[in-house]
Amino acid sequence: MSSPTQPAQYGFAERWLPRLVLAPSFLLTLIFIYGFITWNGYLSFTSSRLLPSFNWAGLTQYHALFALERWWVAVKNLFIFGGLFIGGAMAIGIALAILLDQKIRAEGALRTIYLYPMALSFIVTGTAWKWMLNPGLGLEKLMHDWGFTNFTFDWLVNSDMSIYTVVIAGLWQSSGFVMALFLAGLRGIDDSIIKAAQIDGASLPRIYWKIILPALRPVFFSTLMILSHIAIKSFDLVVALTGGGPGFASDVPATFMYAMAFTRGQMGLGAASATMMLMTVAAMVVPYLYSELRRSRNA
Amino acid sequence: MGALAIKNVTKSFGDTHILKGIDIEIDSGQFLILVGPSGCGKSTLMNIIAGLEAPTTGEVHIGDRMVNNIAPKDRDIAMVFQSYALYPTMNVRQNIAFGMETRGVPKKEQEEIIARVAKMLQMDHLLDRKPSQLSGGQRQRVAMGRALARDPILFLFDEPLSNLDAKLRVEMRTEIKQLHHRLKTTIVYVTHDQIEAMTLGDKIAVMKDGVIQQFGSPQEIYEQPANLFVASFIGSPSMNFIPCHLAEQAGQIGVSLQSEGEARFVPLPNAAKLAGQVGKKVILGLRPEQFDAVENSENSLACKVHLTEPTGPDTMVLTQLNGIEICARLHPRDAKGPGETVRLKPDMTKAVVFDAETETRLA
Ligand SMILES: Nc1ncnc2c1ncn2[C@@H]1O[C@H](COP(=O)(O)OP(=O)(O)O)[C@@H](O)[C@H]1O
Ligand SMILES: [Mg+2]
Repeated sequence: MSSPTQPAQYGFAERWLPRLVLAPSFLLTLIFIYGFITWNGYLSFTSSRLLPSFNWAGLTQYHALFALERWWVAVKNLFIFGGLFIGGAMAIGIALAILLDQKIRAEGALRTIYLYPMALSFIVTGTAWKWMLNPGLGLEKLMHDWGFTNFTFDWLVNSDMSIYTVVIAGLWQSSGFVMALFLAGLRGIDDSIIKAAQIDGASLPRIYWKIILPALRPVFFSTLMILSHIAIKSFDLVVALTGGGPGFASDVPATFMYAMAFTRGQMGLGAASATMMLMTVAAMVVPYLYSELRRSRNA
Repeated sequence: MGALAIKNVTKSFGDTHILKGIDIEIDSGQFLILVGPSGCGKSTLMNIIAGLEAPTTGEVHIGDRMVNNIAPKDRDIAMVFQSYALYPTMNVRQNIAFGMETRGVPKKEQEEIIARVAKMLQMDHLLDRKPSQLSGGQRQRVAMGRALARDPILFLFDEPLSNLDAKLRVEMRTEIKQLHHRLKTTIVYVTHDQIEAMTLGDKIAVMKDGVIQQFGSPQEIYEQPANLFVASFIGSPSMNFIPCHLAEQAGQIGVSLQSEGEARFVPLPNAAKLAGQVGKKVILGLRPEQFDAVENSENSLACKVHLTEPTGPDTMVLTQLNGIEICARLHPRDAKGPGETVRLKPDMTKAVVFDAETETRLA
């Protein structure tokens, strides 16, 4: 801001106004994000239960956490959900984008239809899918009414399968968003590149595979970041769809943390699980940010 | 043998008719230029030749084959695009090799071809770079290299030099011409730049609004433009267009030129073609270099100089004839300063006459 070559007529206000304007949000970020991260970190080393306390307990909460079956179910669910959600949304999104990129008619309408779920909150998505997948209300009942009495689809209430209903609802919500990101990327590719490849004799799949998708690498990584972020934070979708149930069969770390910290009076344990989640996210985001920053500095 | 024949090709996108009956035929080894203002359908025609678009009606023949139903890759052509269209994630070597890989050229042969092309275009040192690490001129070179590696029977160039700066453009122009001399492959070259058209082409097709206005050698197009559009499009500075009426004096058909209150009857060549049209409103076309500065008053007109634009070898003198601003290209020695008077004598042997209504050339 205040470089030595700055003309003298820039007075006090010009120099301080930007800082003044930024100060409140800076302060709020400092307190409510970094302050609370620190506080949460501290709490995870205490024996807090219903209310925060400051009795230092060392790693007790972490030992307790790692001994808890429910935590490992939540972690495993996160991997199942995260893997299928990220992979699935990416695959469906890219496929839809490529199909929409073929200059088909009614593209605008289709794009809106696919993108629309993104406009809903996960709570709405979760609730809608809860009704649709509920054996007594939705799909199964419909099929029974139509006469297919042997049809069963009880994943929502089946503890082995309930996490997969979360995957289905998540895919429905986010695939369109991935499609929009990739479609924008595809549209950014010079048409004549495709023409050149056609003259070179490449088939359409080969053109996409060898030329276009590699050129969309940056889009791929941004999308991966956004999806991973959604997957790790996923809370509302699980709460609205399965409530973590049946039992705790579809718990994920975020619902686990909420349950421990706010409904079961295990605040220290909740804080420890929150810290674990933060570490996981940091392990992914920090290298990404580092490489991005380095690239923009080199560019 | 005919290398390329386009027979009555039309192209419409829905209700918009982009190409309205194109007929072109060139011999093997010729350098064909498609020139015209932007949006006139040059790229569309090029894409039809390449097979990237299908013509609405008409036929395209390459070599001795009718290629309407043959895929681009099987037409034995190579194309260079205005935006170069290099594959962004591949390095130069991979860019050149991509087509050969698709066609199943053996690895060893690929390497030989890449080496030969790189040598021909002096880009050995660029082979391992990505397109993003190249300058505009270098990308252009790579795009040409990719086309050369194919060794096709027909090269298609769609405004290959338009994205380069002026100096590089002139250099690459010369290089393309030399390349054509060496390879003797048939080339179709699209440009909106009339200088490129004149310097490179064996045959020029001047297009406007999806119609070929004239098809001929550069000299024909320059000296005998088919209509007002061609005359104004080719040549820089543009031809002067002087409105007048056909008149007859002492048995000769000519027009009257006026300047500074003085009127002079100048007879026209090719008067035979104008017989019986005396009194008709016409437009006399005179190129800037068809004026000479003279001292005596015979067949010359005194013109007041408005402005001069020295270019070095010549000086452009802006003045008026028949109330119209005209430009004369004079030797700097003869050019007067603004406000002074210069006597101009038009060289009527090369003058052209257009019908003022239909804009086609009468003589
Ligand atoms: N796919 C298309 N659909 C509709 N109009 C098109 C299409 N492609 C080109 N055009 C129109 O055709 C005209 C000629 O385009 P083009 O051949 O690219 O011109 P040029 O290369 O001479 O500048 C333009 O007016 C353009 O808008
Ligand atoms: Mg064009």
